[in-house]
Parts: sequence; C-alpha cells; structure tokens
Amino acid sequence: MDCQLAHERIVLAAYGELPDEQTHELERHLIGCAECGAEREQLHALKTLAGLHPVVEPPANLMARSRLRLEEALDALPQKRWYERLNQRLGNSFASLQAAPAAAAMLVVIGLGAGALGGYEYAQGRAAHAATNGEQTAEATPAPAPQMIAPGNVASISSIQQEPNSNLVEVRFNQTVPQRVEGSLDDPAIRQLLMMASEDAASEGVRDDSVGLLAAECRAGRSCQGTGIRDALMVALRYDRNARVREKALKGLEPYVSQDMRVRDAVLEALLNDNDPRIRTEAIGVLEPVEADTSVRQVLYSVATSDRNPEIRDVSRQVLSRVPQIQ
Amino acid sequence: MAATRAINGANQAQERLQARAPEMELIREAQGGSRAAFDALVRQYEQQVLRLALHLTGSEHDAEDIYQEAFLKAFRYIGNFRFECSFYTWIYRIVTNLCLDQLRRRKTRREDQAVVMDQSGDEIDLLASVSDNRSFSNPARELDRKVLGERIQAALGKLTPRERMVFELKHYQGLRLRTIGEMLNTTEETAKNTLFRATKKLRAQLAGLR
Repeated sequence: MDCQLAHERIVLAAYGELPDEQTHELERHLIGCAECGAEREQLHALKTLAGLHPVVEPPANLMARSRLRLEEALDALPQKRWYERLNQRLGNSFASLQAAPAAAAMLVVIGLGAGALGGYEYAQGRAAHAATNGEQTAEATPAPAPQMIAPGNVASISSIQQEPNSNLVEVRFNQTVPQRVEGSLDDPAIRQLLMMASEDAASEGVRDDSVGLLAAECRAGRSCQGTGIRDALMVALRYDRNARVREKALKGLEPYVSQDMRVRDAVLEALLNDNDPRIRTEAIGVLEPVEADTSVRQVLYSVATSDRNPEIRDVSRQVLSRVPQIQ
Repeated sequence: MAATRAINGANQAQERLQARAPEMELIREAQGGSRAAFDALVRQYEQQVLRLALHLTGSEHDAEDIYQEAFLKAFRYIGNFRFECSFYTWIYRIVTNLCLDQLRRRKTRREDQAVVMDQSGDEIDLLASVSDNRSFSNPARELDRKVLGERIQAALGKLTPRERMVFELKHYQGLRLRTIGEMLNTTEETAKNTLFRATKKLRAQLAGLR
C-alpha cells in the first residue's frame, strides 16, 4: 500500500467507513510508516478540534417559531381543486397517469383512463391465470413468472418480500399506463404537466421540449407569476444535466432577473458554477441590466479574476468597467 | 460466516421494512391530501432539519428560512415521492440542497460567519452550551476553547459549499458516505473524495493549533 492510499484509508478508518480487511492492511502499513502514523495523529487532532464547534439542539423558541410560521404558510396555501386531488391520486396509484382537467376533455379522459385500467387489470388477471399450471386456490394465487420489462414501463416498485428460508422473492410493482392529452399552453393542467416534465422526465428530449415551452411563455410575458413556472425553470437551470435545457431555462428567467432576487441568485450561481462556458457567458448578458448590487458586482469580479475561460474573464471585465452606466 | 451475514441482512431488511410501514402509511395519507399526516411527518423530522440548518448556517434566521422552505417544498412535491428511497433521505435531499444554496450565496457575498447570531442579532456563544465536567471552571481555558471554536468555524467557512456539506453530514451528523451520496445526488465515491479534500483543507487551515 502506498502512502497516498494509506492517507485516504486513514480518513475512512477515522470515520468508520473502512472495511475490516482494509483496516488490517492499514494497521500493518502504519506499523512500518512513521509519516502515515503522524498523519493519523493529525486527523485525530482535527476531529478533536472540530468538536469545539459542537452541534447544539435548536432552542425551544426557535422550534416553536419555525413551526408556527410553517403552519401559517400551509394554512395560507390554496386548497387543491377537486380535479387536482383526483390527478394526484391517479398519479400516485398508477405513477404516471396523466389527466387533463380541461373542462372539455376531462370526462373523456377519465372514461378512457377507467376503461384502460379495467382492460389492463383484466388482461393482467388473464396473464396471471395463464402463467400457472393446474388449478389455483382462492387464497394462494401465485404471482406470474417474471419477464424482462423495459424500465420505462415500470412506474414504481411498491414492495419487495423474500420468502423466509428460500431464494424466492416477490416484487410488487406498478406499470405505467400511457395517456395522451391536448390543450393550449394557457391551460393550467397543461402547464402543470410541462412543469412535471421539466423535472421528472427520463428523456432529455422531453425535458428540453417542456423547458423550451415554459421559457417561451415567460419571455412572451404570459403568466409566469406565482404559478411555479419560474421555480421549475430555476430547478432546470441549476440541476439539469443537459446544457441546452439549462440554456433555455436561463433565457426564460431573463425577464425576471430585475424583480426577483431568487432568479438573480440562480443566475449568479450559473455564472459561478455552470461547467458550460456558453451558459456562463449568457448569464453575464442576463445580469447586465440589473442594478449593480453588491452580490452581482462581487461575482463579476470573482469571475473576471478567476474564471478558467479567458473570454469569460474578458466579458466580465468589460461589464465591470461599464458598471457606473448600469442602472 | 457469509451465510450468517446474508440471513442477518435479510432479517434487518425485514425489520426496516416493518419499521417503515407506519411512515409509509403517513406518506400515502399525506399524498392523498391529509394535512394531519403531513404535520405528523414534519414532527418526525423537524428537529433534525433545524439542527442541521442551524449548525451549517450559524444563524437562527437562516435556519428558520431553510426549515420553512424545506417543508413547504416537501408539501408541494410529496406527490412525486415514489418510495424509491427512504423519506428521511428524500427530505434531507431537499434540506441539503437548500443549505448548499445558502452556502453558495454566502460565498458570493463574503459574509463573515465566524459567529453565530440569534434572531435579534445577538451573538450566541455555542461553547457556553458545552458543559464543563469539572467542579471549578477555568476561565482561561474557556477563553481558549472559544477562540479555537471560532477558528474552526472560520476554517469550515473556507471550504467549498459541497465540501462543507459533506464534512457536516459525515463528521457532525454521522451519516454514512453512501447516504450522503444519495442525499447530494452523487455517488459514494464522489462523497468520499470530497471528504478527503475537506479534511485535507481543514488540516492545512488549522495547522499549528493544538
């Protein structure tokens, strides 16, 4: 074992993360290596010192205050409409059932959903029956033999039970039931689905499309106030793996950088942390019209001095030199 | 030995499943719109959430904001919870992301967080809550500990937000690296490397202190 590996294992051992066999190997190394022995002593000293910044229990009045404030905020939230509760219940039960509460299509969709569900359960029951040999008793209906299922068709795994003293495992899962709905971009239900797609879709293409549509709505000045669209775009800007999706989210948030501090913070984070230089450059452009508050100037200064991309450093410096002209 | 471990592992999984059953019911009820069920979930986790936020931010005001945002987000998105991980991991994921956002904001605004402030802006002496087991207190030693405590906080403030978070969750909250990886939406290996960097930086910052 070389000393660099030993140093890493010393840290793991100090925090109880080193497997037993590696602990033994490490101990043998430490017997013969004074430098690594000293390293371990220093780490123990660090742990002791870190204990001088102890974790304290929150004071009772802080807890009470926080709880009260949360209750008030929850009480102030609008009650979910009956179709929102139905939508969530269907979504939880079938995991990706999508329903459009638009007035004109609602009854049709529910009817189609119920019919599909009934047909699905009937077909599943037939398959379960056909998969068994001989007669089944009412109490002990064996589960069908497993078959490979595409991951996209599995909505959720609801339970896993191993039969005692055997290697048989029963897995209960929910399968997705594809649905289709159509409506205008003004429709709150369509927007809700787009927001879900922006955060939850397994497909980059779906996230790209949904964020693109939401961002276009915001740029066109159509209602992005208090509907969660801005939040969805901020989440996409911060966390989406695809740079094109993040870029679209950034463009959608641009109209709000002046009035919304959360949007401004999200754009500043993108400028500091995004690993795509195009997005960092665009973030600088988005921030230009903003009144030059301390945080914007400080981030620009930090980027102008330390960004790894020379073009971004140049652009930041140019903006900083114009700061008195920024209103 | 391996067979015994496998059997014990299966038994422990069963016990965990049974222990989680009441919580799963609460979650399902909350997903169905039950406010009482959601409040019960809040009660189960609020102490840990506030404790983590308070220790990380050093500010009662910021801890309260993180508490508020975390549980409001949980309320809003509980319908998306699919039981693919524990609710504990899910709620902590929300809290750690909010704490990371807060740490990043502080990095850009260069706030000095070497001291802990309460709601009214007065400093809180964390060391005052650390008991002295001896019959007689030693003022000089208490002062030393206070100064050292401030040095620790300053050194922690120099870590990157992610390093700070991993160190907090590992050293102060005692979580497994695998759990930390799940909470931060990364791998155990990445969490491990982040911990190495954090301890290395802290040792460099605190060199000479004993």
